[in-house]
Amino acid sequence: MAPAGSTEQAGEHGPLLDALIEKRESLLLFLASRTRCMATAEDLIQDLYIKVAAVDAGADVRAPVAMLYRMAANLMVDHVRSTQRASRRNGQWRMDTHATVGGEDVAGEPAADEVLVAKERVHLLAEAVAALPPKMGQAFRLHKLEGQSQADTARAMGVSVKMVEKHIQAAIANLAQRLRT
Amino acid sequence: MISIVSDEEGTMANASAWLARLQRDDVSEADAIEFETWLAESSANVGAYRRALALWHEYEAAAEAVLVELAAANRPARAVARPGLSRRWLVGGGGFAVAAGLAIAVMPSLLAVPTIQSYATGKGQHQRITLADGSVVDLDAETKLSVSFSRSARRVTLADGEAIFDVAHDAGRPFTVAASNHVVRVVGTQFDVRNRHDGLSVTVARGKVDVRPAKAAASGRAFLLTAGQRLEIDRTGLERLSAVDPQETFSWRSGRLVYRAEPLANVVADLNRQFVEQIEVSDPELGRTPVTGVIVLDDQASVVARLSLMLPIRSIPSGEKLLLLRK
Repeated sequence: MAPAGSTEQAGEHGPLLDALIEKRESLLLFLASRTRCMATAEDLIQDLYIKVAAVDAGADVRAPVAMLYRMAANLMVDHVRSTQRASRRNGQWRMDTHATVGGEDVAGEPAADEVLVAKERVHLLAEAVAALPPKMGQAFRLHKLEGQSQADTARAMGVSVKMVEKHIQAAIANLAQRLRT
Repeated sequence: MISIVSDEEGTMANASAWLARLQRDDVSEADAIEFETWLAESSANVGAYRRALALWHEYEAAAEAVLVELAAANRPARAVARPGLSRRWLVGGGGFAVAAGLAIAVMPSLLAVPTIQSYATGKGQHQRITLADGSVVDLDAETKLSVSFSRSARRVTLADGEAIFDVAHDAGRPFTVAASNHVVRVVGTQFDVRNRHDGLSVTVARGKVDVRPAKAAASGRAFLLTAGQRLEIDRTGLERLSAVDPQETFSWRSGRLVYRAEPLANVVADLNRQFVEQIEVSDPELGRTPVTGVIVLDDQASVVARLSLMLPIRSIPSGEKLLLLRK
C-alpha cells in the first residue's frame, strides 16, 4: 500500500510524505533497532504513514526530515513503553493467577510473534556468547538475553550506563565476526 | 571518518556502535537524525547495519533457548569449591573473624531443570551471594539454597537453613522462594526465611511478602505479610502470625543471636550451627529453660561462659563435645 507507486504529482503529497517515501529504508532500520523483528518495524512504518497523512498537507513544514524523525522517535519510545507495560502486565498476571507446582511457575505460552530458531543454530549462538570476554558477555546476557534496560544492567554490574553501551557494542561486533556465514 | 582497520571490519564496528546507541533508555530524535546521516553515507553502512540487526533479532527470538544452553554449558565448571569467594565477616562485639577463610561448596545441581546454581554452607560458615539481578542473599550456617533465573521468573529454593533476602525490584520477574511446602513471593523487599527441622518461618523487614502452599491442593492458607510481621508454620502445619522486631531476626547476619524466652535446646541447636565444636544438653528439663538475651558469636568458650552467667548452668568437656549441666 506504499503510495510510492502512486500516479499523483509529488507536490500533492506534501513534504512530509515525500520525505517518508525517500527515507523509508533508514526509518525502517531505525525502528527495527528496538522491535522484536522486521515485521513489527514494518507495522510501525504503517503507523507512521497514517500519522503523516493526518498532518494537514498544507501545513508549513520547514524541516520535514527532522519532523519525520521526531515522529519516528516518539513512535519508537511509545512502542518500547507499551511492550514493557505488556510484559509487566504479564508478570502481574502471572503473580495473580498462575498456579505454582512444587515452587515452579507454570511456564507461559510463547508470544505469537516468537520466531523459532533451529536447535543447532541456538547452540552456535550460545557458544558465541560463552566465548565473549566475561564483562562483555555479562552485559550482553543481562541486557539482550534477559531483556533488562541499559540502566538496570549497569546497576546489576556496578558500572556506568556508558560502559554497558560500550560492552554491548563490542559484543555485537564480536558476535557478528564469529557468526559470519 | 578515517579508519585504519579493514573497511569491512570498521563498518561493522560502526554499525554495532549505532545499534548499541539506539538501545539507550532515552533514545531521541537527535540520535535518529545522526543515525540517518551515517546510514546515508554509503550502501556498505546499510549492509552492515542490516547484518547486525539480523543477528540482534535472532538473539531476541532465541533468548530463552540460549540462556538455557549457556546454563547447561556452565554447570561442570561450577562443580568446584571456590575458596576465593568466601566472605570474612566480623562479629559485633569482639571483632573476631569467626568464619575467616571459609569455602563454600558450590555443588552441581541434582535436578534436571535448566539453570540452577546451588550454594551450601557448613557449620560456622556464613556466605553473602549477589545474584545476577543485584539481589543479595546472606546465608546462615548449615544452609542449602539453589537459584534459577529466567527471563520471566527468579526462583530460589531454600532446601534447608536460613537466609536473609534483599530483593532487587523487578515487577516483570517475580522473585519466589520455595521452602518446605510453601512458596514465598515478593516484588522488592527484605525478609528472612528459616526452614529448619522445627518448621518454616518468614520474617519481613521491608515491603510485602506473599506466603502460600506450593500446591493448590495442599492444606494451609495464603498469607500476605508486611514489614514487622513473622509467620511461623510448624511441621504439623500449625500457623502462628506475630509482630516482631525484624532486626532481631536479622541479627545473625552481624554475628548476634537475639532470643525472647527461647528454650535452651533451640538456642544450643543454633549455636551448634555456628561452631564446629558441639554442645549437648542431655537433661530435657534443662533444655526447656527459657533464654532471653543477646548472644554475641565471638568464640564458643566465651559464648558458653556468658550463657552460664545468664542461666544456672555449668559446662564440662565430654569426649569431643561440651556437656551443659544444671549447676
